[in-house]
Amino acid sequence: MPLDTSSYSLALLRLDGRRWNELRRLTAQISTQASADGSSYLEMGNTKVICTVSGPSEQKAAGSDRGERDKAGVRVEISVAGFSGVERKRRGRNDKRINEMATTISSAFQTNLFTNLFPHSTITLSLHLLSSDGSVLAALLNASTLALIDAGIPMKDYICACTAGSTSSYSSNDESADPLLDLNAQEELELPFLTVATLGGSDSVSVLVMETKVQVGRLEGMLAVGVDGCKQVREVLDEVVRERGSRILEGTKL
Amino acid sequence: MAVSMERFVLPGESLDAEYLPSHPTLPLKLGPGLRHIPPNTITPTVAGQLCSDKRKNAVWVEFNGGRYIPTVGDLVIATINRPSPEFYYASLSDYAPQATLPNLSFEGASRKTRPQLQPGALVYARVSLANKHMDPELECVSSSTGKSDGLGPLNGGMLFTISLGMARRLMLPRPAEQGRVVVLDEFGAAGVSFEIAVGRNGKLWVDSTSLKTTLAIGKAIQETDLKGLNPEEQKKLARKSMKDF
Amino acid sequence: MPRETAPSLNEKLFFQKALEENLRIDGRAFDQFRALELEFGDEYGVADVRLGKTRIHTHISAQVTAPLPEKPFDGLFTLTTELSPMASPAFEVSRPTPTELLLSRLLEKTIRRSQALDTESLCLLAGQKVWAVRADVHVLSHDGNLVDAASIAVIAALQHFRRPDVSVEGESVVVFGLEEREPVPLSMLHFPLCVTFSFYDLGGGAGEEEGEMRVLIDATSSEEMLRDGGCTVGMNRHGEVCQIAKLGGVPVDAVVLLNCIAVAGQKVREISDFVKGRLESDRKKRDKGGWMEELRAENDRVS
Repeated sequence: MPLDTSSYSLALLRLDGRRWNELRRLTAQISTQASADGSSYLEMGNTKVICTVSGPSEQKAAGSDRGERDKAGVRVEISVAGFSGVERKRRGRNDKRINEMATTISSAFQTNLFTNLFPHSTITLSLHLLSSDGSVLAALLNASTLALIDAGIPMKDYICACTAGSTSSYSSNDESADPLLDLNAQEELELPFLTVATLGGSDSVSVLVMETKVQVGRLEGMLAVGVDGCKQVREVLDEVVRERGSRILEGTKL
Repeated sequence: MAVSMERFVLPGESLDAEYLPSHPTLPLKLGPGLRHIPPNTITPTVAGQLCSDKRKNAVWVEFNGGRYIPTVGDLVIATINRPSPEFYYASLSDYAPQATLPNLSFEGASRKTRPQLQPGALVYARVSLANKHMDPELECVSSSTGKSDGLGPLNGGMLFTISLGMARRLMLPRPAEQGRVVVLDEFGAAGVSFEIAVGRNGKLWVDSTSLKTTLAIGKAIQETDLKGLNPEEQKKLARKSMKDF
Repeated sequence: MPRETAPSLNEKLFFQKALEENLRIDGRAFDQFRALELEFGDEYGVADVRLGKTRIHTHISAQVTAPLPEKPFDGLFTLTTELSPMASPAFEVSRPTPTELLLSRLLEKTIRRSQALDTESLCLLAGQKVWAVRADVHVLSHDGNLVDAASIAVIAALQHFRRPDVSVEGESVVVFGLEEREPVPLSMLHFPLCVTFSFYDLGGGAGEEEGEMRVLIDATSSEEMLRDGGCTVGMNRHGEVCQIAKLGGVPVDAVVLLNCIAVAGQKVREISDFVKGRLESDRKKRDKGGWMEELRAENDRVS
């Protein structure tokens, strides 16, 4: 059953009390897993993700996702915990939605990382979704960026992602519809939304995925808010990396 | 050369003696696509055009096969895949085993001076070894004279894919009369300068001073090939595409 | 197993230089589709689309089944895609490739999730009997841009399809044969199509200044092999975007993407008109003697 968000137009506050351009609480840690080459833990509101990176290591034998010969391939495995959603359910290996997300993340980092420095090798990202409350693909992308930074794999810039929606349902043509930033699962069910990932602080869009119907005129506003949100996300991620960096520096001081 | 193309044959047909050349002294030579069943039956094994050469007392079947099968002496255009200490691994066609090209089989190559080819480079080469049970071997130098005879790396230009039959027609000594391909002569007659290399593996490399010319020549041959144009139509096509540059 | 040969360096360089001079290898303009052909079969719901050398065959079929327990009022609509070795030796039976995954996901998102087919209209007896409509997409020949061609094929076939007429009396459902009653068309809410863009970054090497971007429509398979990134936009002729998928690849400026969406809208309108024209001429061909109008038992639906 659709939820009631009609109260938005009265107070301009969303169900969880945010305004239209506010992110949820975004916290992250890096180097959480000792055994991995790089790892991160990221929370975007109630969406929680762990990412571990191993590699660059020797190229795995045949497989569609091995890269070109003179470059490293990026392999992505996503596992969704059974307890992550409202219903407890096990997802098979062949869930197409999950596989599509894996292909997306792999392809985005394939061009962002300097893979040409590691010929004949594979970089494996293994992502675990512990709790899912909207913006899943965005959280996975952000966690991957942090883990790859932790692993010390050279990249052009951060890939930062977030979602943006619009308060208009596709049937109504109201002009007063506002774009919204960083949707949670309830809002995702009901409103048209897109996931956007940009390269660092620029306007270059690396990933753009939208799965709901929306008027073309609405799109520009949503995209602008999304790109702006990505810049906010970048600030937060940057903070996390810097804090970790300064702690390492302190530790090595004599 | 007295080549005659008389009729189409189908596999398993029985060939009458009147279609075979008869020569007083030379023994009869059977080319590709024919099989001798003793004592004196000759049957085609493929569908195609029966060709015979009276002077050499040879007979064979011209057919337009789909996949290139390496044969010793064929000139081919190969794509280098990767180097190794002794060979370059090169591919002749998609989904086929790789061919090897020894590092030293280039003109004037020695251990110290040998061409450094990047993966993805094109070379014009001759098939020097084609054994049923082994991967084919290529060479870019004539083993008897030590000269390259025009073989070697191909720089610049563009590669086009053509049918195997078209590649054979283009490589005949006089393609205009024997192969009925006049489109290149037409370009040449109009004063367009270009360079081409034809590989028996269905590849055509074209280079010229401008991109448009290169494209026009490549497309003209592909179109001649695809639509089976006759000499008159080919001339029209060449004139039409020359208007663009 | 030996693989397809990757494009050679010469081809890559030539292609890049041609793009710089605003030329495409096959001589098309950057925003031009290849020759599009659409044919319908003798049966209802069979469409054959050719886009250059790409060829896609789609078959729609319907049967009566029980609905899903969680959706008792909705009919079923399934889309299956098949990439067999017939299309290209790169495909193997029962081993899905990323191409196949993306093809089926994009069609699913564009056509099924956007509710192009009104599944509620397929309900016969709530909770007991509904129509299950199935669209089988077969790729007969692969020369790039499968998604766009497949979306055209499915949408055309769905519009062409006629399901048998039924009458419901109490708990019993009678399905009439094609001879007994004129079959009825499916109820479609809108007609979404896909347009795929390919991006080429002419800046070249990594870490350099961001170079110029070239955007091509309807890439052939060799153009697809050389591209740096792609984006598929699914939308209908009313300007509703049903789906956008830019799944990684080279980063593209947001303004360029918005431009692409505008171009997609225009292309979708052109193709929709083409499909409409073909459906109309097919209808005329079938309507011998002009009896079709009389035989129809349906009321026109205003959409």
